[in-house]
Amino acid sequence: MQIKIRSRSVLLCLAAFLVGCQQGGPKPKAEDIILSKPGLMPSAILEITDEPGHWFKDPIDGDSLVVIKPGQAVMLKMTAETRTEHTITSLLWPSNASGFPVDQEKPSSVSVTTAFDQPGLYVFTCKVHPYVFGAVVVDDPKTEGLDIGSEMQLVTGAKVPTTSDIAKKLLRTYFVATTPALWRDYSKPTWNVALPDIPLNLAGNTISLSALSFSAPNKAFNPAVPGIGEVWVDTQFEIIDGKTKAGSATQVDATTWSIKKKVKGVDINMNHPHNMWTDSQYKNIYQTEWFDKRLTTFDRDTGKVLSTVDVGESPSHVLTRPTDDSLYVAINAGESVVKLSAGERPSVLSAINTGPHTSPHGHYITENGKLMVTPNALASSVSVVNLDSEEVVEIPTGGVIPIAVWGNPEGTRAYVANLLGTPPALLSSMSVIDLDKKIKITDINLAEDYNPISGEVTGEAYGLLPIQTPVSPDGKYVVTANTLSASITIVDTASNKVVKSLPCEPGCHGAHFGLKKGGGYYAYVASKFANDLIIIDMDKLEIAGRVVLADRNDSTISANNGMGGQGVLPLPLAEKSRLQRTRGLLGSGKLTPEVERWLKQATTSQIGGI
Amino acid sequence: MIKQSRNKRLLMLYFGMLFGLISFSCLLSSPAWAMREGETHVITLKASNLPSGQLAYQMASHKIKSKYGRIRDVTSRYVQRPIVPGPTIIMTEGDVAEITLEHDIEGSTLPVSLHVHGVHYKIKDDGTVKAMNGIIDSAAFPGKPYTYRWEAASGTAGTWPYHDHTFGNPMLGAEDKGLYGAVIVNPSSMEVTALIDGEIVDVDLDDVKREFVLWMHETTFWGAEINHILDGQQIPLWSNPTIGARLGELIRFHVIGIGTAFHTFHLHGHRWLEHGTSSVVDTVNIGPISRQTFVVEAGEGVGPGAWHYHCHVLQHMQSGMMGKFRVLE
Repeated sequence: MQIKIRSRSVLLCLAAFLVGCQQGGPKPKAEDIILSKPGLMPSAILEITDEPGHWFKDPIDGDSLVVIKPGQAVMLKMTAETRTEHTITSLLWPSNASGFPVDQEKPSSVSVTTAFDQPGLYVFTCKVHPYVFGAVVVDDPKTEGLDIGSEMQLVTGAKVPTTSDIAKKLLRTYFVATTPALWRDYSKPTWNVALPDIPLNLAGNTISLSALSFSAPNKAFNPAVPGIGEVWVDTQFEIIDGKTKAGSATQVDATTWSIKKKVKGVDINMNHPHNMWTDSQYKNIYQTEWFDKRLTTFDRDTGKVLSTVDVGESPSHVLTRPTDDSLYVAINAGESVVKLSAGERPSVLSAINTGPHTSPHGHYITENGKLMVTPNALASSVSVVNLDSEEVVEIPTGGVIPIAVWGNPEGTRAYVANLLGTPPALLSSMSVIDLDKKIKITDINLAEDYNPISGEVTGEAYGLLPIQTPVSPDGKYVVTANTLSASITIVDTASNKVVKSLPCEPGCHGAHFGLKKGGGYYAYVASKFANDLIIIDMDKLEIAGRVVLADRNDSTISANNGMGGQGVLPLPLAEKSRLQRTRGLLGSGKLTPEVERWLKQATTSQIGGI
Repeated sequence: MIKQSRNKRLLMLYFGMLFGLISFSCLLSSPAWAMREGETHVITLKASNLPSGQLAYQMASHKIKSKYGRIRDVTSRYVQRPIVPGPTIIMTEGDVAEITLEHDIEGSTLPVSLHVHGVHYKIKDDGTVKAMNGIIDSAAFPGKPYTYRWEAASGTAGTWPYHDHTFGNPMLGAEDKGLYGAVIVNPSSMEVTALIDGEIVDVDLDDVKREFVLWMHETTFWGAEINHILDGQQIPLWSNPTIGARLGELIRFHVIGIGTAFHTFHLHGHRWLEHGTSSVVDTVNIGPISRQTFVVEAGEGVGPGAWHYHCHVLQHMQSGMMGKFRVLE
C-alpha cells in the first residue's frame, strides 16, 4: 500500500510559515546549506591518439606536454581515435609526489584524472606501446624556470637526481620522440636537435633546455659486400595520402640497397604495421597492425593486400611454426597468442592463454617448432608453450616490461630483453632462460659500463632500454637494439657478456639477421625516430652500412618519410632449419625464380652443412 | 424566534456554502488533482571551450513564461561559466522549452548542436546535420545561433540526456569532450515513488531538498547538485565529488552513463527502488546514455557518515571512479 507523505510536508510548511511569521528569521547562508565539495576540475588534458609523435596530445596546441600549477589536475584521456587499448602508466615522477605512480593494471579504454601536488616533471607512457609518451610539468610560479624537480623516481623504483646523465637522457629522448621535426632525417646533411631556450629549474639550478641540443652529420652508405635477398622494414610512422592511419612496409633490395616498393595498405587503412613474418615459400607476408586489432596478409611479390582478420587488441609480432607454417600472433594488449591457419586468408584456429596480465609482445618459436616463448610485458615473466600440447609454463623473471625474446638454434636458451631492467640492481638487463629446465639462469647487465649519474662509459656494456634481441643463426651472438642509449649491444652467448656496443639511432628498435653474400650474416637494425636501416657485419661486429628508407620520389608520402622503423624481416629467413625447409622446395615450382636464385646463393655454412 | 431561527439557518447555509467553495477551490489548486498549466522555458545556452581544452555548455539565460505572460528570470540559479556536465534543465510535463544555442567555441567553425533524448521535438530540432536528418543542419555556427523547441509532453517524465551530435564528427558529435547535460522532466503530479522507511510511498517532489546529477564517463563521475533549499541553485561538482546532505533529507539521484563503458553504480548504506519497478536495490547497471533516477532518505536506518559511492567494475574502482555521500546530523 502506498502511503502519502504529503500531509507531513504540508504540516512542515505550515509550521515553517508560522515560525517564519512569528520570528522573521534570517535566510540560511549558502555555505551552511551546500554540503557538497567539488572534485577535481582538469586544468589540462592529454588525449591518447595514434598520431606518430603525438600519442598523448594536448587538444589546445597539439603538444605532448602540458604545464600546470601545483594542486591542479590533468585528465589523461583515452579517445576513440586509437583503435586499440592502452595503459596509462607513470614512467617517472618527482619522488616526493603524492598519489604516484598512476598505473593501470591492464590495457583498457578508460581515462584517468589526477591531481599533482609537487612541482616537477611527470612522464606518462603506455606499458603496451612504451614509446607513447606524454608529460606534465607542474611549475611553481614562485620559482625561476620551469620546475623539473630535484629527484625523479623511475617506474622501476630507482631514484635519480634530475641533474644526472640518465635524467637528461630521458628528458632529451622525450623531446625527440614527441617532436617529429627532431627525428633524424637522412635526406638532410645534418641531424640538428635544436631545443628551445626554455629555462629549466633542476634542483634549484636554472639551465636552458637548449643546453641539451646537439647536432651530428648524416652519412648514409651502402655495405661493401652485398647481402642476399631483401629486407622488409616496417616504417610504422609514415604518413600516406589516402589513409588516416600511419605506416607502411618498406622492401629493400639487399643487393643494390635500393627501395623496391612500399606496401601502404591504403584500401584497408593499414594502421601502424609493426612486425612481419612469411611462409616457407616467401609468398605471403603476414603483417601485424599494432595500434589496431588486425593481422593483414599481403602478396610479397605484388604488394597486394590479400586479407585482413581481427585477432585481438594490439597484435604485436607474428611468427610461423617452421613445421607447418601455421601462424602465431602475440596479442599485446591481451593475455594470449592466437593461432591461425596458413595461407592467403588466415583464419583463427585457437588462442593460447599465456597467463593473467601477460601482454605478450615479441615472441619466439624454436627452430624445431616444438616450443614458443613469450615475453610477458605486464607480468615480469616469460611463458614457455609446448606447441603440440599447448601446455604453458610461466617463468617469473623479475624483469620490468620484458618486451622481446629470441633463442639459440638448438632451442635450449632464450634471451629476453627487459625494457626497464631488473630492479633493484640492474638498470638495463637481458634475462637468460634455460628452456629445458624452464628456469632463469642469469641476468646480463647491458649497461654495466655506464655510470647513470656522470654519464661516463668505461667499456662496451652500454645499452639502455633494450628492445628487439635476436640471436645470430650460428648461435654466437645476441644483437640488441637499445632505444634510450641509441646503441646496439652485442652479447657473446658463450660468456653472456656484452662484447661490443655500436652507435644506433634515436628510438633504436627492431633487429633481425639476414644472409651476407659469400657467407656470414648481416644484422639489420631499424629505428623509430630515424629513417635509416643499419647493417652490421657479424664477422667484424662493425657497422657495414646505413641505408635510407625514405623514398623522396614518392609524392604520396606526406610526412615522416621512411620513419618509424620497427619490425625487420630479412629474406631468405636465415635460421638454418627454416632455410633448409625452403631450400627443400627448390625446383618444385612452388618458389619464384627470384627466391630460387637467392637460395642458391647461400653458402654451405649458412645452410647448415646440407 | 422563528425569524431568528431562520436567519440563523441562512447564516449557517451561507457559511456552509462559503466553506464548500473554499474547499472546492483548495481542491482545484492542489497540484495532485488540478490540471497544470504548462510553462515555456526560454533558454539561451552557449557551447564553449574550457581552459583545459574540454568543451562545455554554459547557461546564458533561462526565463520561465507562464501561460498568462508572467515571466520569471531564473538565470541566477546557474553559474555563469561553461561546466561539465552542462546545466541541468528542469521542466514539468506540459512545459515547452525554446532553447537557443550559441556557438562560442574559440578557433572552430564546425557546427555544434543539442540533441535531446526523451522529450518530443520536430525533425528540424534533432540536433544533427542535414546529411543525417535530410532536412537541415540542426546546429549552431559561429554568429549563427540555432533555436530548438522541446515539448515535455505527457508521458515524457524522466531524466534524459542532451548532448552535441555534430561537432568534429557529424556521426558522433563531441559529447565525449564534455558537451552533455541532463533534462529532468518532472511528472505533472509532482510525485514519484520511493522506498522510505522500508515502505513504498509516493514522495512529493516539493519535499526533495537536493538532487544530485552524476554522470558516469569512462572512469570518472562528473557531478552537479541542484539545491532546492536555495531555490534550485545549481552547483557544479566536477569530477568524483563529495556530495552532501543532512540526515533525513529526501535526496533524489540521477545517475546517467556516457561514453563507451558499462558501469555498476553502488551507494553504500542506502537502498532504493530500481527505476520503474518495486525491486529494492543498492547497485544498478548504467550503460552509455542509460539512466537511473531514485529518491533516498539520507542516512535512513544507518545514520550519518561519509558513505562511499562508486562504480563497482573493479578496473573502474582501481582508476578512482568513486566519491563520498556525506550525511551530516
